[in-house]
Amino acid sequence: MRQTIAQKIIARAAGAESVAVGDYVTVTPDYTVMQDIYFWKNIKLLERLGVSEIAYPDKVIAVLDHTPQATLGTGYAARNRESREFARRTGFKNFFDAGRSGLRHLIMVEHGFARPGLLVFSDEPNIASIGAVGALNIPISTEVLVSMVRDSNWVRVPASVRFELTGTLPRGVWARDLVQAICREYAGSDGLMQRCVEFGGPSLSRLSLDSRQGLLAGMYHAGADTAVAEVDDVVLGYVQDRADGRPYTVFTPDDGAEYDDVRTWDLSTLEPLVTVPPRHDGVVPVSQLDGREITQATVGSCASNRMDDLRAAAQVLRDHDVAPGVTMYITPGSPEVYAQAAREGLIELFTARGATVLSPGCTTCWGYLGALSDGDVAISTNQENYPGRAGSRNADIYLASPYVVAASAVAGQITDPRPMLAGEGVAHARQ
Amino acid sequence: MPASSLHTAGSAVVRGRVWKFGDWISGDDGIVRFSDLRNFGDDHDPAELARHCFAHLVPDFASRVTPGDIVVAGRGFGVPSHPPAPMALRAAGIAAAVVESTDSAFIRRSLNAALPVVTCPGITAAVADGDELEVDLTTGRMVTGSGTVLTTKPFSPAMLEVLDSGGLVPYLERYLAGEARA
Repeated sequence: MRQTIAQKIIARAAGAESVAVGDYVTVTPDYTVMQDIYFWKNIKLLERLGVSEIAYPDKVIAVLDHTPQATLGTGYAARNRESREFARRTGFKNFFDAGRSGLRHLIMVEHGFARPGLLVFSDEPNIASIGAVGALNIPISTEVLVSMVRDSNWVRVPASVRFELTGTLPRGVWARDLVQAICREYAGSDGLMQRCVEFGGPSLSRLSLDSRQGLLAGMYHAGADTAVAEVDDVVLGYVQDRADGRPYTVFTPDDGAEYDDVRTWDLSTLEPLVTVPPRHDGVVPVSQLDGREITQATVGSCASNRMDDLRAAAQVLRDHDVAPGVTMYITPGSPEVYAQAAREGLIELFTARGATVLSPGCTTCWGYLGALSDGDVAISTNQENYPGRAGSRNADIYLASPYVVAASAVAGQITDPRPMLAGEGVAHARQ
Repeated sequence: MPASSLHTAGSAVVRGRVWKFGDWISGDDGIVRFSDLRNFGDDHDPAELARHCFAHLVPDFASRVTPGDIVVAGRGFGVPSHPPAPMALRAAGIAAAVVESTDSAFIRRSLNAALPVVTCPGITAAVADGDELEVDLTTGRMVTGSGTVLTTKPFSPAMLEVLDSGGLVPYLERYLAGEARA
């Protein structure tokens, strides 16, 4: 049988030569990753089930990313203390505690858990970002509990849609604009639903690994269950540095593998795009919103919290202050990103320009920090835009690239970033 | 946990009255509202969840729904969602959902709450609000009140076992006791 990358990864995890689209198969996951809120719930459920420790602790990863900062008025800090105590008592090592934690999407890649050809169960479809290094995220929601008890679970083999990338991103345009373009086309249909988006084509390698992760993290909002990309030398170099001897397998799709659709996206035709709330398919060129006043601007979330995203924001902020009346939050995605941003002088730059740098975590994306109040208008690189997602229902969340967010923060209104970038190099060109 | 009272066995053959909804009823701002259920991750009493179910779409839903009713909905039902969405449907008495499309996370999340969700392109054209509908998850066969037969992919034995157990946690109790077949 001729297979897609997703089929090959699932077949390997199932111990089978091949698997057919639509089949239910039993697989042994390579890893299972979950966030803090579910981890705490699950250790309580383990107690109820009479299970004293995680059955395969080396294969389970828990990351404090939703609530690593203790805040007033919630019980999360106390729960995290119980989780910490559980990890200590049972010798569970893959517990990424506050101070060592970032978004699990980044932790998986930075710590070499996500590697080519591996199958990862998780609690969230956005973790498809790990597909950028050739690992397949299978979102199983509350069933991550199963992986704390045994070493197998079922998967329904998804159909794939193939996206070929060509061309080069124009100046001031970001991989996030490709996410918006894909959402504009697919989020109002169910063309990607229960499918895996497989990325390839000559221009995949022109996107930095950071940008590829952000791109794949956004495919859920176009409707897809998951996403995976072909592996190039950039990925192999990155993974070899971090695999620490742990195995991996590079899979390429077979000639003649079956796709529900094959599409080419020419990066050179893209422009800065903004998603108008509350849906994901309400995507318009930034020029159509020019002048819409904002009160908050945020760079962060699993879509846009890596070094290249911060560098893009810094390109805009290098010569411009954040406008009065705008609160700008920038959230590096992990301690590694935070430290690198410091080494490159970005933390100092952001601070000097009037932006607030938050500690790693999901922060503003669900209003845990930087909550929106009545009347707020946010422009954000975050992932969701429905009413009440990040605080008040009477607040609007526009979604855009770090370039658009930073330029809008400077202007105090939604703005095309390109005029502010005159003479600037394009971060994408750097590998 | 209060949610444990939700854990009664789901049925592999469901026959009930249809509540019909349109396209893009999300789990986070449709079935329930994420903004109504602070704080994220807290356990909610089933009676409270039942009151939230569709409350902003059909204000008297909680008083009119009867146990065993079936939701029929359009594209993207339950997308995106968090665990309270299927738990609210279950708490309200909904026995199954048949939808034009949804994502796999919602299907699994719902199964874990003992709520079977199946996709069936064409279902919204085939049934009207208030119609009878029968769904057999073991065969994937669905029959409307007027006798129209539609098909969906049957549940796998592993899925049926979770459903029959009453959701994920009771299933794992069974599994750990060596009583699970799949």
